[in-house]
Amino acid sequence: MSAPLLNVESLCVEFGPKSAPIRVINSVNLRVDAGEAVGIVGESGSGKSITSLSILRLVPEPPSRIASGRIEFEGRDLLAMPKSQLRHMRGRDIAMIFQEPMSSLNPVMTVEAQIGEAIMLHQRLGRAERRARVIELLRLVGIPDPESRLKAYPHQFSGGMRQRVMIAIAVACNPKLLIADEPTTALDVTIQAQVLDLMKDVRRKLNTAILLISHDLGVIAEVCERVLVMYAGHVVEDADIRSLFENPQHPYTRGLLRAVPSLTDEHPRLYQIPGSVPQAGSIRQGCPFYARCDLRQDICARAMPAMSTHGARHVAACWATQSMPEVRSA
Amino acid sequence: MARYIFVRVLDSIPTILLVLTLVFLAMRILPGDPAIAVLGENAQPETIARFREQFGLNDPLWLQYLHFLGDVFTFDFGNSLVKSAPVSTLIANNLPYTIELTIAAMLIGITFGIPMGVMAAVKRNKLPDNAFRVFSLVGYAVPDFYLGAVLLLTFSLGLGWFPINGVGTDFVSRMHHIALPALTLAMLKMAFIGRLTRTSLLEVLGRDYVRTARAKGASERRVVYRHGLRNALLPLSTGLGLSILSTLSGSVAVELVFNRPGIGRLLIEAITERDYPVIQAGVVVFALVVVIVNLLMDLVYVAVDPRIRVQ
Repeated sequence: MSAPLLNVESLCVEFGPKSAPIRVINSVNLRVDAGEAVGIVGESGSGKSITSLSILRLVPEPPSRIASGRIEFEGRDLLAMPKSQLRHMRGRDIAMIFQEPMSSLNPVMTVEAQIGEAIMLHQRLGRAERRARVIELLRLVGIPDPESRLKAYPHQFSGGMRQRVMIAIAVACNPKLLIADEPTTALDVTIQAQVLDLMKDVRRKLNTAILLISHDLGVIAEVCERVLVMYAGHVVEDADIRSLFENPQHPYTRGLLRAVPSLTDEHPRLYQIPGSVPQAGSIRQGCPFYARCDLRQDICARAMPAMSTHGARHVAACWATQSMPEVRSA
Repeated sequence: MARYIFVRVLDSIPTILLVLTLVFLAMRILPGDPAIAVLGENAQPETIARFREQFGLNDPLWLQYLHFLGDVFTFDFGNSLVKSAPVSTLIANNLPYTIELTIAAMLIGITFGIPMGVMAAVKRNKLPDNAFRVFSLVGYAVPDFYLGAVLLLTFSLGLGWFPINGVGTDFVSRMHHIALPALTLAMLKMAFIGRLTRTSLLEVLGRDYVRTARAKGASERRVVYRHGLRNALLPLSTGLGLSILSTLSGSVAVELVFNRPGIGRLLIEAITERDYPVIQAGVVVFALVVVIVNLLMDLVYVAVDPRIRVQ
């Protein structure tokens, strides 16, 4: 196997005072190969956003901090790098799109200035060339009549259009990795589909690897080949998307899949996982899913299970299913 | 844009009218007969009657009101009862000094206040922030008449670095004269503007678009000044307006302490001497300044925030 583009190993992120830290990300491993699209799925508070922000060290410090682990991009450790050096990678090698297109653009700068800034920070281009590039980017993300929209401000765009502008900013320097943190959550369904199509389109044209964060497995299945399931700061399952849908190993993943409404299903009531996500830091030992799990055993309360293999590229962290190789679930 | 300005100017007309009406009523309601105030307790009844007739005090109230409005719009505030000069001349002679003082104090306040606030916000809870907190507390707590007296005693009388009173003639000597009074007023402004900058910048630096700027690879300097401060200017411009207005009250004490001519001192002298026409005109001028400054602030909003521009 070739060297990964992004390799995150045993990442731990903590909040609060150093004397009594609350651990929100616990030993997360994550790998993205060049050109690959990987998803992270999980509920609110599962740590998926914090994980994505940690990669570019954008988690707000204080109150949070990256406590331990390695984040390597093309073999270079981003955590060991001085901030000034990391800055040159932000936007150029790794770019990000955020959840809130309404508030993620600067309200007092024109879109030309905001997209142009992303170019200007990493490339030496003259004013006219830069403008030409901005127009080209706006066209790439499907904004009609880009020449006339250069001097427009974010509030003059709709939510979907703003997210397109965000994508234009993100791909301005042809990044090798695009991290999208819930890029479609704030958009309505038709716009959501358009933005996902755009991301796939951009990926095909620029051969960008994508790390897509979403609480919606459907969104991830649309774009990604591989998916990580996160629960309470842990990665509980990591699999090819097909393998995950056909043969989910972690009870939490099974619960997530069962909670997807189905038209053919005769059950009148939608499945829900009993209980709620534990508060960060409240679980001191054992599996974080213990309290809500229908396969729980005594050992689950005492020790966190290690990752066990369930196929070529499929691992899950569960005591119960690691000994039952062929559990097919609905 | 032109339309917006036009609408805002129209909007301020009722405000001005209301202020004028209040001034007019206040002067009529306040105890004391202006005729007696002018002519003295022992004036002959015939003299008083003549005076009342001459100044229209026997006219019905609405007619007096219309005369008053007419006088204001022609800048005719009558004559000072004490200084034997038209009130409009007195205002015209004194107002420029107060404006000069305000501009000087604002320049000092902005030049030092904003960088101090930025510094405090960026180095939050570290030494610069704590040092600034102490500074601003002192700036708020020390009254301007006291600070003015201390500066005057130290740097003018003690060290002889600055003139003791007056305003100077050529540009250099005017700057020399204005330095201490302006600094006195600027202390509070630095504290106020600095704290406001700190608060609004901290608020803005937590916004999503600041994170976007960081994710683009912008330097911390660029993030703070280009993305942060530009957005923090919105609430800040309101504060700057308030700060300009606070100079009006500050000028009263400072002009007295440094013995500078100015509208504040004119007004205080008029009040002690019961110079009604001057008081009335002074209040009208203050009110007009408030309205004009607010209008200017509205226009600043438009310049700073594109979202207001379109509506």
